[in-house]
Amino acid sequence: MSFGDWITEAQNIVFLVFAIAMLFASVVVVTSRNVVHAALMLVVALGGSAALFLMLGAEFVAWVVVLVYIGAVVVLFLFGIMITRAPTGRDTARLDHERRWPALLIAVATFATIATTTTLAFEDTEVAGEVVRTAQIGDLLFNRFVIPFEAVSFVLLAALIGGIVLARKDADE
Amino acid sequence: MFDYHAIAPELIIGVTLLLVIGVDLLAPPGRKYLAGVVGLVGLVAAAFPLLTMAACSDLAGCTDTGVRAMFDGSYVVDDFALVLKGLFLLTGVISLLLSVGYIEKDRYYEGEFYFLLVASVAGAVIMASARDLITLFIGLELVSGPAFLLAGWRKGDVRSNEAALKFFLMGVLSAAILLFGMSLVYGLTGEITFSGIRAGSAVVADEPAFILGVVFILVGFAFKISAVPFHFWAPDTYQGAPTPVAAYLSVGSKVAGFVGLISISYLAFGGVAEIWGPILWLLAAVTMTLGNLVALKQTNVIRMLGYSSVAHAGFVLVPFAMAATFDSAGMEEAIFASITYLLIYAFMNLGAFGAVMAAVSKSGSGELPDWGGLGRYAPGVAGFLGLFFFSLAGIPPLAGWFAKFVMFKAVLQASGSVWGVTLAVIAAVNAVIALFYYARVVKTVFMDDVPETAPVDEAARTPLSPSLALALGLTAFMVVVTGFFPQLLAFFGDAARALTLGP
Repeated sequence: MSFGDWITEAQNIVFLVFAIAMLFASVVVVTSRNVVHAALMLVVALGGSAALFLMLGAEFVAWVVVLVYIGAVVVLFLFGIMITRAPTGRDTARLDHERRWPALLIAVATFATIATTTTLAFEDTEVAGEVVRTAQIGDLLFNRFVIPFEAVSFVLLAALIGGIVLARKDADE
Repeated sequence: MFDYHAIAPELIIGVTLLLVIGVDLLAPPGRKYLAGVVGLVGLVAAAFPLLTMAACSDLAGCTDTGVRAMFDGSYVVDDFALVLKGLFLLTGVISLLLSVGYIEKDRYYEGEFYFLLVASVAGAVIMASARDLITLFIGLELVSGPAFLLAGWRKGDVRSNEAALKFFLMGVLSAAILLFGMSLVYGLTGEITFSGIRAGSAVVADEPAFILGVVFILVGFAFKISAVPFHFWAPDTYQGAPTPVAAYLSVGSKVAGFVGLISISYLAFGGVAEIWGPILWLLAAVTMTLGNLVALKQTNVIRMLGYSSVAHAGFVLVPFAMAATFDSAGMEEAIFASITYLLIYAFMNLGAFGAVMAAVSKSGSGELPDWGGLGRYAPGVAGFLGLFFFSLAGIPPLAGWFAKFVMFKAVLQASGSVWGVTLAVIAAVNAVIALFYYARVVKTVFMDDVPETAPVDEAARTPLSPSLALALGLTAFMVVVTGFFPQLLAFFGDAARALTLGP
């Protein structure tokens, strides 16, 4: 399919808009000198990925991304920045790293490998387009996947208890 | 109807976890060890359904023998799973015994510690039965999540903080790599159960993305089993973490990683052994050699045990390294050898950590030069040290020799293969190198002079905590008896061959 044909389809235009917005936001997350700006741009990038999941018909995953990542994780970031009184303004020294060039090299190499292999593998695969209802996922979660589900709840309980112990200020310290 | 008998161990551990929290809440200060006792009783109780399942054909009223597959083949209880669940429960019990005195003495948070340890064991128990990508991953997270926290339990100690942080960052990175590999494999085969992936793998075996997925999954597990070059967190973490936690990490969490690696590579990627076989060959050779060479230079004994456990991970990988050339009987032999090695390794390594803990409490130091003449003022502890370290070195008649024996036998069965012989030679050279540093500890303890700073009088007055003594007795008994009667553990290794039967 030529680019001219590709761009005339409505969903491809929507995809392009989201993809460009995500790309821009992700670059700002890494380059921004302001931690709060970086966290807010992460919201944009994650929101874009939620939109892509919606376009693929995975509504449950899309809302999980919004609820868990945007609603909980990023808000946690912001609270963390606030509570620990990390520098919220422009702070160049602590956000930089002397080994940024090797890091960039590895990031680009990883991206190139993954992008090439996945494109080669899934190039012409049609997306089935069927929408998986949340109710179906709920059924699966509590029947077939009940053991992993319960195990996850113990992971969270352990994280909660251990987190409190480690974060707590002891009297004799 | 739902097979409650098959998941009874998991249910019992789940209830135990909640009870541990409850008891910790109600127990008065100074009696928090009760939470540990509850955890201990729970783990032992969870072992009973394993026995009834194993002996099902001999029991009245028990009709459901053989492989129990649940949830569309996602969760399978076969003899392989039973053996490893038993091993994990036993590891949990011994780790708890090692912990009780240690945690109590230094007034750390007690109840929470036992809760996290039992939670980690629960994850390992789930992993033994996991036969799909999701269950396997979640089980692995339940093993590592609590372990990250336990490694940082000595909050006031910078080393412990460093241990926890390094372990956490490496663990998260490896989990991300593992998950990405799993997503590629799922995307290409459209299946999450191991049997489905195996059936679908023939079509996509040449796809670069599939190979990348398999490699990523291997790398993810290589971090968990601390194989070189993904090992660098292990010695720092073992040294900084509380010693009972280091003992648990080097056995419980490592064996869990091996179980995941063996079950996924055999059951899901059995048809594409030519992808992962050579990688494991390389990992095994490098892991053994580097682990042993670096261990030679260590003066801190726990750090040395850290590198020694890295080297042992290499030995366990050896039987699988020639997988690409094996037929199904050869694979069975490799599973038998690796599992038997792990069973023996579990006892001798837990024992070695226990003996080191006892020696540290007697001599007041973890540095080898300070242990000079320990045999003169603490002969019992020194005896245990000698027993476990010689067993780790593989000297007959202690259990370690049999582990090495089955490993060599499995890798050499592909007779005429140059690669198999080369690996066996590398393993043999490494076994000799390892003898140097294990024997050096024993020599220091028995032959060197007592340093002037050694707290000889104090050592005589501080008896070992009863739980530590019990743990040492248990592991020493197993190491000695298995050395003379290897059939004892080889029987369980044989049972683990059931993995090849499939769900």
